[in-house]
Amino acid sequence: MPLLLVFTTVVILPFLIGIGYSFVKWDGIPANPKVFVGFDNYVALFKDDRFLTSAWHTIAFTVLALVLVNVLGLLFSLLVTSKLRVGNAARTMFFLPNLIGGLILGYIWQFVFTDAFKFLGEKTGLDSIFFNWLIDPKFALFAMVVVFTWQMAGYTMIIYIAGIQGIPDELNEAARVDGANLWHRLTRIVFPLLMPSFTICLFLTLSGAFKIFDVNLSLTKGGPNNATEMFAMNIFNEIFGYGHYGLGQAKAIVFFIIVAAVTLTQVIITKKREVQY
Amino acid sequence: MKKVKQATILLTATAMVGMLAACGSASNNNNQASGSPSASAPSSAAPEKLKKISLFQSKVEIAEPLEALAKTYQKETGNEVEVWGSAGDAYATQLQAKLAAGEGPTVFSVATGAEADKFKSYYADLSDEPFAKDIAKDMALKDGDKIVGVPYGVEGFGLVYNKSMVDPKNVTDLASFTQTLEKIKSEGKNGLSLSQEAYFLIGHIINTPFALQADPTGFIEKLNKGEVKMADTKEFQEFAKFMEAIRANTTNPMEVKYDSQMGDFATGKNAMVHQGNWSYGMLKDFGDLGFDVGMMGLPLAGNDKIAVGVASNWVVNSKADADQVKAAKAFLNWMFTSDSGKNAIVNEFKFIPAMTNIEAGELDPLSQTVYEATKNGQTIPWALNYFPQGIIVNDLAPATQAFFLDKKMTGEQFLKNLDAAWAKGAK
Repeated sequence: MPLLLVFTTVVILPFLIGIGYSFVKWDGIPANPKVFVGFDNYVALFKDDRFLTSAWHTIAFTVLALVLVNVLGLLFSLLVTSKLRVGNAARTMFFLPNLIGGLILGYIWQFVFTDAFKFLGEKTGLDSIFFNWLIDPKFALFAMVVVFTWQMAGYTMIIYIAGIQGIPDELNEAARVDGANLWHRLTRIVFPLLMPSFTICLFLTLSGAFKIFDVNLSLTKGGPNNATEMFAMNIFNEIFGYGHYGLGQAKAIVFFIIVAAVTLTQVIITKKREVQY
Repeated sequence: MKKVKQATILLTATAMVGMLAACGSASNNNNQASGSPSASAPSSAAPEKLKKISLFQSKVEIAEPLEALAKTYQKETGNEVEVWGSAGDAYATQLQAKLAAGEGPTVFSVATGAEADKFKSYYADLSDEPFAKDIAKDMALKDGDKIVGVPYGVEGFGLVYNKSMVDPKNVTDLASFTQTLEKIKSEGKNGLSLSQEAYFLIGHIINTPFALQADPTGFIEKLNKGEVKMADTKEFQEFAKFMEAIRANTTNPMEVKYDSQMGDFATGKNAMVHQGNWSYGMLKDFGDLGFDVGMMGLPLAGNDKIAVGVASNWVVNSKADADQVKAAKAFLNWMFTSDSGKNAIVNEFKFIPAMTNIEAGELDPLSQTVYEATKNGQTIPWALNYFPQGIIVNDLAPATQAFFLDKKMTGEQFLKNLDAAWAKGAK
């Protein structure tokens, strides 16, 4: 019962109030009037080019980040669980970026992309790869993906490691005796048994990438020319930049529905593929 | 010696009580109440202990001296002012969030114009405060007839130039401006530098074509309604040519930050920067520059005047509790009438005072230029204060970023994009 009370007051109530705000026109200043406008905000947001572009950026970012984070996380975990002498040190190093907050990470990488990359480009002559990524609309998005991957790959690695260690050695040994090569053991034994880990990791990266804000703010501020403005930042700008509290709130609700729908679908799909041994 | 010093502080403190009590308004007439013990003068009739107040303001440049001033205030009067960290570009956002959450600061700053309008439901009436009569003519922030804000000071911006590299006689119109940039470029230096921060990228420099309109605020209103277009206005067409010249002949502002911009100026790599008198604070960190600096207007359509205005005002949060409002008023009175306060404004903040009771101190060269231009009326207004709230950061800056990143974009296209951005921002 106390749990229910807490949940209601800190989650359910604010959420309902938020839905209420999405039907009014208001600039966010308590002393100013709130005007009820019905579904106008919801109609307006689908006509908002900047919102739709930011949706596209978010999707592109999420797909790229999802693939990179999980492929790398999985590779790292296979690497450090194989009989590697530096396994433990490597594990620590891979995980370390995750302990640095997104904001700080963003600022660190801002320096890397603006100064270090430029320096590398000048010294090596590879200035088609090493230039200031943050001022190119396309590369700025990749820069976001790189930083997010840097942050999250170590985290998913830990989850995959736990999954891999949960697989009984006998299975692998038996397969080896039967003459299965590494590829077969991976695809036929390890991956199917890792399905629960996949469910968790995909869920975490998917929702994390969709809701990304801190790295976005510190690395690019949505620029250049709004080319890396993600969902969350667009909502933030709508509310605090333009002072359209109601519209921003409506966007937030739509955002919630999208995130919930996408992640739920993902969980249902991957859950179905989980197997028992 | 130490005793003498303490005694002086005591005396000043007591004098202050007298002053406050003498000219205080109805709201603070119980100042001579029994001396509750205060930190620096435990045994005397110290001023009444006022409630602790908080202060939040936008200018990063004065963050440190302001904290020092708060300490001095505590030493002299025993009252506490908590100075919150400055937030720079994100100031208005954070202020709004704090106010909306009911955790707003007691004293805060607002920019003149649209921002001041936005927060006006929060301002306490300062008309009866002793310092109100000392605010220079037309400089107070008003809500109707009530004075609600005290100006920080006046500020000015324009082309800040290195006197050993640029002669203002050679920068009088578009052609000579472009020639100067090209000449400096051929010498391996950089003629002019903007920087990536929204105001330094577009906000300030676009003020000139607005200010040169016959009726800047009227023009902005028409622009908001879509009755006029920048692309069809002569001054803006020339402005676009200026921006083309800047893009063609100088470093890409997207790769430049305020500190690198000023650093390169101080070390003689940039001949000019489009900046204001506040930037001198940065230059002085470089010690002896080895050259003189000056400030001139952006020579758009023959303009030779720098832009001068009141950027920010102190206001008191009327939604704070009554004791805090009282303490906040006392603090502002102290800041604008006591010697320590006045000294800090002129010599520490390096503001050009907008108060009649404060003499300009020893001004740095840039502030001196602004001060003289103000006295001689050789100024253009800050039209940007009347831009729709947030438009510079939200809409104009992205459009300008696109212009500087896409070398193929023409000036006309840039103006059209600015018009489109304006239409969105003015909604």
